[in-house]
Amino acid sequence: MVGGGATLNVRGVRASATVAAVYGFFLLFAQFAFVELIRAAGRGHTEEKVLLGVMALAGVAAGFITAWRGAHPSMIRRALVAAALSSALAPISGNMPGALAVAALTGSALGVSTVALAALLPGWCGLPWVGLGTGIGYAVCNLPFVFQQSPAHQSWIAAGLAIIGALVMPESAAWKQQGEKPNTLPFPAAVLLFTALVWMDSAAFFIIQHAADLKSATWGAGHLWRNAALHLVFAVISGLCLHRGARRLVPLAAWGLLAVASLCVNSASTRDIAGLFYPAGVSLYSVALVAWPGWLSGAPDSKSAAWRAAWLFAVAGWFGSANGIGMAQTLQRVPAGFIAIAGVVLLLALLRFNRSHMRPALAVAAVTACGLPATKQASPSQATAAQRGRIIYQSEGCIHCHSRYSRPGSPDESIWGPAPDPKTVLAEQPVLIGNRRQGPDLTNIGARRSEAWLKAHFLNPSALYQGSVMPSYAHLFADGRGDDLVRFLKESGIESTAQLMGSQSIWNPIGSALEYDAKALFARHCAACHGVDGMGKGPLANQFLIPPANLRDGPFIRTQAADDLETAIARVIKFGVIGSDMPGHETLTDGEILALARMLREWRH
Amino acid sequence: MAEDSTMTGTPALAVRHSLGWLVFGNTVGLYLALLLIEPGLQAGAWTYGRWMPVHLNVQLYGWTSLPLVAWLLTIYQVDQSRRSAWGAAAVWAWTAALAVGVLHWLGGTSSGKLFLDWKSGSLQAFVAALVILWCVLAAAWIDRRSVWSRTRSMASLAGLLGLALVPVSLVFASSPAVYPPIDRTTGGPTGSSLQGSALLVIGLMLLLPRIITGHPRHGRNPAVWIFFAVSWLVFGVTEAMGGTHRDPHQILAVLFLLPWVWLLPRDWKGFDWPQGAAAWRYAMFGWWGMLVVSSLLMYQDGILDRIKFTQALVAHSHMAMAGFTTSFCALLIVLLTRHPIGGKLSVPAWHASALMMIATLAAAGWLEGAGPHWMADPPAWRVAGFALRAVCGAIMLAASAHWLWKHRLP
Repeated sequence: MVGGGATLNVRGVRASATVAAVYGFFLLFAQFAFVELIRAAGRGHTEEKVLLGVMALAGVAAGFITAWRGAHPSMIRRALVAAALSSALAPISGNMPGALAVAALTGSALGVSTVALAALLPGWCGLPWVGLGTGIGYAVCNLPFVFQQSPAHQSWIAAGLAIIGALVMPESAAWKQQGEKPNTLPFPAAVLLFTALVWMDSAAFFIIQHAADLKSATWGAGHLWRNAALHLVFAVISGLCLHRGARRLVPLAAWGLLAVASLCVNSASTRDIAGLFYPAGVSLYSVALVAWPGWLSGAPDSKSAAWRAAWLFAVAGWFGSANGIGMAQTLQRVPAGFIAIAGVVLLLALLRFNRSHMRPALAVAAVTACGLPATKQASPSQATAAQRGRIIYQSEGCIHCHSRYSRPGSPDESIWGPAPDPKTVLAEQPVLIGNRRQGPDLTNIGARRSEAWLKAHFLNPSALYQGSVMPSYAHLFADGRGDDLVRFLKESGIESTAQLMGSQSIWNPIGSALEYDAKALFARHCAACHGVDGMGKGPLANQFLIPPANLRDGPFIRTQAADDLETAIARVIKFGVIGSDMPGHETLTDGEILALARMLREWRH
Repeated sequence: MAEDSTMTGTPALAVRHSLGWLVFGNTVGLYLALLLIEPGLQAGAWTYGRWMPVHLNVQLYGWTSLPLVAWLLTIYQVDQSRRSAWGAAAVWAWTAALAVGVLHWLGGTSSGKLFLDWKSGSLQAFVAALVILWCVLAAAWIDRRSVWSRTRSMASLAGLLGLALVPVSLVFASSPAVYPPIDRTTGGPTGSSLQGSALLVIGLMLLLPRIITGHPRHGRNPAVWIFFAVSWLVFGVTEAMGGTHRDPHQILAVLFLLPWVWLLPRDWKGFDWPQGAAAWRYAMFGWWGMLVVSSLLMYQDGILDRIKFTQALVAHSHMAMAGFTTSFCALLIVLLTRHPIGGKLSVPAWHASALMMIATLAAAGWLEGAGPHWMADPPAWRVAGFALRAVCGAIMLAASAHWLWKHRLP
């Protein structure tokens, strides 16, 4: 991968492990455990700010001192030992002076180790190793048995990581880039770019941390392995892409992923998406952040690289992070406008302020500006619930799975109800005929289903139809949109009720019940409401105002006085009890319906 | 923006954007295929119904439209004009408009019209991109007309005037108040509507060799143009008459497409084609033949009634987009850039996977058409069909990623 034979590969592995150790220590202790220890000690908001401020100042100062003195491997080793010491002592540093000492020591250790490491890495390995090390660092922190430890234990694990880093790190101080392409990104551009990315990252991170549902959706127990894998995969991809010369693609992709994550954290219904995009975006740019001083800045030697690292980490790392958190604290969200501005900053940075590239930037800005004014969906307050529901039907793309056109003169009419008048259909604006049937036709849905049934189905479709391809739309009911959609559907074809009742009264099943297992059919299609034993106490029974019928003991209102009881029951199975919560079973064959009807008739005896 | 590439120039940039959108569209397509197997993969409010317009529109307005943009930029010699630097701006504006569209569709802003899903912000952004492109072409025309022949200059001007109508047409066509005539027996398009949309594609196929390779070797082939004009006449009359797939005149409209299976390859044979274009040309005509013949078969009374609203129509759409249009675009790209698309493995893999996917969907659609029983009790054939479809989609995604990769890095 990096060439140079076995010796170089061993050095690559050691360099990669050092990167993993430094990142692991930073994430696990400085970002998580130390903050939790501060809070667990009962320190106030001001004290927390002071401690984190001291850590930041110490980090910046140590970074510049490292650059001034020139990076050397021994600095990293000493810094990692100091880091281990600080995190090992943190859980027992009870008073404020002790905490201040830990903060200062941690900041100093991080300042020295990050700047020296960024400056020396090109002499040790190629960019793919940096990607791998970053990925491992992130992945280790997300492993459940690390992530779910107490802050004290995490501090000690971080100390262990730092010690491992100090033991395995390479010794060489030689400056030599390992066959990377000489494609540089100037300092002002890099500072702008990484500040924007760190800003977005920190803001999204803060919001994720402070919203319980988001935190569980992102770092809940079930997601830790996924996060670890995402971090590792995307960091490796980042290293490989940077190695192959895609040095604009990586930050652009990182921005795209973080933009999606940031937009998603703003809304409860999209928060689980943030959990997927955030780790991917963070890993992508984290590798580039480490790689820039040594590989992408055009630094001629390790001293220059160290200076660039010191400035970059001071401005983008500490400043960007503080402002991102500050913005999230104030606004409690990441504004879309800010994401767009970050994107523009990123583009400007990547375009290197080249005048010829300003035209595309201008065009993109103009087009984006044209697209922005209507990002909020219009929701006419004067509209009725059904009218609003129609807009939801349109917005959610229901037409991609459901038709609203029972075809005249076709079997559709006996299954989905009477055909609509084409003129009425075409008079709708927009026309919502649909083009696919992944699920039933909805022309006469209002006559065939009750509102309670529709809601129960939206909440959990597979509870009513095992193996249903329809996903849950429970999120629509969090803000009333689901109720509007149900209202729209209820009014769709409601005028066909009488016609449907007429069809029901004359329908006779044709076929044989012999080949069907009625018990299995009942378990699949009826038990959710009526219970496996038919006593009317299925798992969904409490979702309906009038409980599902007890099919063994009654009372039997609709089929009480029928001459041909089996046919009467079959008609109820096929068409439902029109006007009640009992739905029809349009998709069952006549034979299946007969088999069920026969069993239900026998149950009554 | 065009660094790290073996190709240069604005058309090449448009091609790379086009391929980028193909990869993105295929990724979304694969995700949609997986959602049909495991609905639990749905991510919050970004539902299947919101991703669908993203998949459809990025394939149409990204993958298949940007090569046409590249073609326009080549025809108007934007790169040779004094405004050449604005060519890249037009391409980026197009991509930005699509990106804005993606955000709007995922956000739930939809016109509810397939392939015309432009509404409010997304519509404004796309119109802005079209206007920027038009201005770039107009500026190039002003600059280059003095070095062109009078015929070329006037033809280009006529083209510009025609293109000026595109944003207006888009706004009109996207309006919820506008809907084409329907076959009342199916709720779908009439035979004449199918003929009309096919004739637009046929027009492009007639123009392509004449603009890119020059005059035909054996005269101007007037018979083709006469039949083209007659076809439009038939379209106009049958469209005005309306009707269903059981009406002879609507069947006639679709039948008028059949001769093009033979006429177009014959027409193209009369031109000198550059090396490297043959594979995509043959593939394109193979798909074209299948598309026309299957359209005729599927339009038959009894067959259309059975497959309407089923996966069989999805199969036909994939035949049009993944088969024919993809081959057309790839050929156009090869002709414009003189740079091959894909390699010896990825191109056959694409066609084989597309064919397998289409066959699977068609078979599933035919079975779906037998009755709605599968809706409440998903049978094994349907689940297996979706799984096979997803596998084919994954291969097509990998193939398209290879095409993009090959176009970026030598």
